Amino acid sequence: MKVFIDPPNSLILFDLVERFGHEPLGAMASIQERIDNIELDMPPMNVTLDDVVGGLRYAGVEVPSGIRGRLALWGPMIDAAEAAVIMTDAPFSFGCVGCERSSEMVKYLIQRRGIPCLRVGYPETEEEAEDAVLRIKGFLEGLG
Amino acid sequence: MSEDRETRLFMISPDSTVTPDQLAREIHAMGRGVAVKETCYGCLAEGSRAAVAEVLAEVRGRHPLDVFSKRRAYPAGDPRRCRAQHGTRPGYAQLEAEWAALAMISRGLEACGRGESPRPPAEPAGGLPVEKFKEIAEAIR
Amino acid sequence: MTIKIAQLSCGTEYSSVQHEIEKAASAVGAKTVYPDVSHADVKAALDRFGFAPRSAQLKLMIARAVSLADGRYDADAVFITTCFRCAEAALVRNELRRFIQDNTRLPVVTYSFTERLKAAQLLTRMEALVTIVTRKEILARERQSGITVGLDSGSSTTKAVVMRDNEIVGKDWTPSGDVVQSAQAVLESALRQAGVEMSQVEAIGTTGYGRFTLGRHYGAKLVQEELTVNSKGAVWLAGRQRGEATILDIGGMDNKAITVRDGVPDNFTMGGICAGASGRFLEMTSKRLKIEITELGKLADAGNWRNAKMNSYCSVFGIQDLVTTLGEGKSFEDVAAAACHSVAEQVYEQQLQEIDVRRPIIQVGGTSLISGLVTAVGEVLGEKPIVPRDSQYIGAVGGAILSSGFL
Repeated sequence: MKVFIDPPNSLILFDLVERFGHEPLGAMASIQERIDNIELDMPPMNVTLDDVVGGLRYAGVEVPSGIRGRLALWGPMIDAAEAAVIMTDAPFSFGCVGCERSSEMVKYLIQRRGIPCLRVGYPETEEEAEDAVLRIKGFLEGLG
Repeated sequence: MSEDRETRLFMISPDSTVTPDQLAREIHAMGRGVAVKETCYGCLAEGSRAAVAEVLAEVRGRHPLDVFSKRRAYPAGDPRRCRAQHGTRPGYAQLEAEWAALAMISRGLEACGRGESPRPPAEPAGGLPVEKFKEIAEAIR
Repeated sequence: MTIKIAQLSCGTEYSSVQHEIEKAASAVGAKTVYPDVSHADVKAALDRFGFAPRSAQLKLMIARAVSLADGRYDADAVFITTCFRCAEAALVRNELRRFIQDNTRLPVVTYSFTERLKAAQLLTRMEALVTIVTRKEILARERQSGITVGLDSGSSTTKAVVMRDNEIVGKDWTPSGDVVQSAQAVLESALRQAGVEMSQVEAIGTTGYGRFTLGRHYGAKLVQEELTVNSKGAVWLAGRQRGEATILDIGGMDNKAITVRDGVPDNFTMGGICAGASGRFLEMTSKRLKIEITELGKLADAGNWRNAKMNSYCSVFGIQDLVTTLGEGKSFEDVAAAACHSVAEQVYEQQLQEIDVRRPIIQVGGTSLISGLVTAVGEVLGEKPIVPRDSQYIGAVGGAILSSGFL
């Protein structure tokens, strides 16, 4: 199954989803699709004006451009996802996921799609980490 | 091109005894035509999607608790991403933070291996009722 | 030497503007760099800075600023930029600007972008950052020497000044048309007035939007953006070469506010998204009142802005206000005063918040001749600005003074 991960650039979630037998949908694929387009020269990510305008599908023009640009990348993946794993309160949320408003919207879009979704809190202790991994494993195995 | 090229980031857990050099040599020795670049946290492996998938399976098989992996969008050495060009990009801090958490995730994977079940989540404490807070405040006054 | 401009930003890559920023920087011989910080630095930096935004990218901006302030990262200038309309980022952007200024001597410019940002819009700002870094000695020049000419090709008017031995001996202006033709006309007129032949001119300095075209056409010794050139002209005309000052130029298309220390600019803001805060709005107002723009100031002085409420950041809405007020039967005097007050208020709200306004305030540019506007700026800022003689010629005067540095 295609499983959207949030934060979309998380190494840990990407690894666990793949390890437990599913296809993680994260930031890297949609960015690679753009940067490998040799017809564009808009470094570093080849996010184009059309992308940002395309983000209007997810948020109105009064919403800052950086949010619309991000939603233009993640939105289609959320649309394609069959399930999602969200790690809440992750202390690592830099780079692609540096904007809190975008991240809130991503979580909302997942919920609005009504796909199976697991929310796990970022573990603070080893015990919590064990529980988090066990729950992610259980959720992913349950997806069939 | 996207379909062909896959760049994989392999990251070694901080509590592991595996070294980036050792991992890079292992992948190289697998002889699948995958280019390997050693990094401070592990290595980057780049090749066709199929070849990289084989490498990934083998690395997972050998080091299930030590090595973690995700795809990377940029090819190895891409100047758009290169630290030497502009300084670190924002995702660098993210990787650093995730790296620090990998030891805990390894413990979680061990628990999976032991067939454990997660403990029921603790009930959230909830807020102190306002009346109670008022009582406390008045008692102090 | 490549100038290193430290970029502290959020949202540029996702707004499709990062390459435009880099293009603008490289066009002026600079490159953007990101100060290196580790994950551990971020927390320490937030504790030190004392402002913890929710968005991680803003936290990273703070950590990078702290790294610059502590001298752990070496850069020549700072560019702080975030998405237009993001409140969280606007707070961080402005506080970081203040923090950098309090803790370093690096020139800073801030900017809020939309996805439509093009490199050309940033060029003047980037060029000014580079000029401040690389031309400190030229900018410190206090006297003009020899016979030099300054040409200022602005969006509304073109100005020429001939200077000899630290005095203005010829000057003229005309509404801007063809860049070279307009400049040639005012140059000839200024030379005639000065009694100087073109062959006697030892150096030419060009500034304003048409500076590159004019620079090539006349073989100018100095081709420089208007921010630094104008500030030089302003402090010379106002006799304020020493100490601190803020130079305010409400232009036809964009406004500039520049802070200077001993005649050298150390920070500036340049705005221009909304015409409601520009000279253009006053032009539109004069047209609607069917008077010459030169009469607007006096008319405004005779009125009371409080009698005709007008306050809009957009010139279209502003004109709507104006039509409504006139329809209510308000006097032309009150309406003119309200229009001036509205522009002053918008300049204050949109731009002067981005710099630390230092006294005295020297108001310059064509709009400084509109007395009602100067009065309004004084009211809004709590101190009447100084308007030096020939205040509309600052760019040309600055060009003439600075180009003499090449003799």
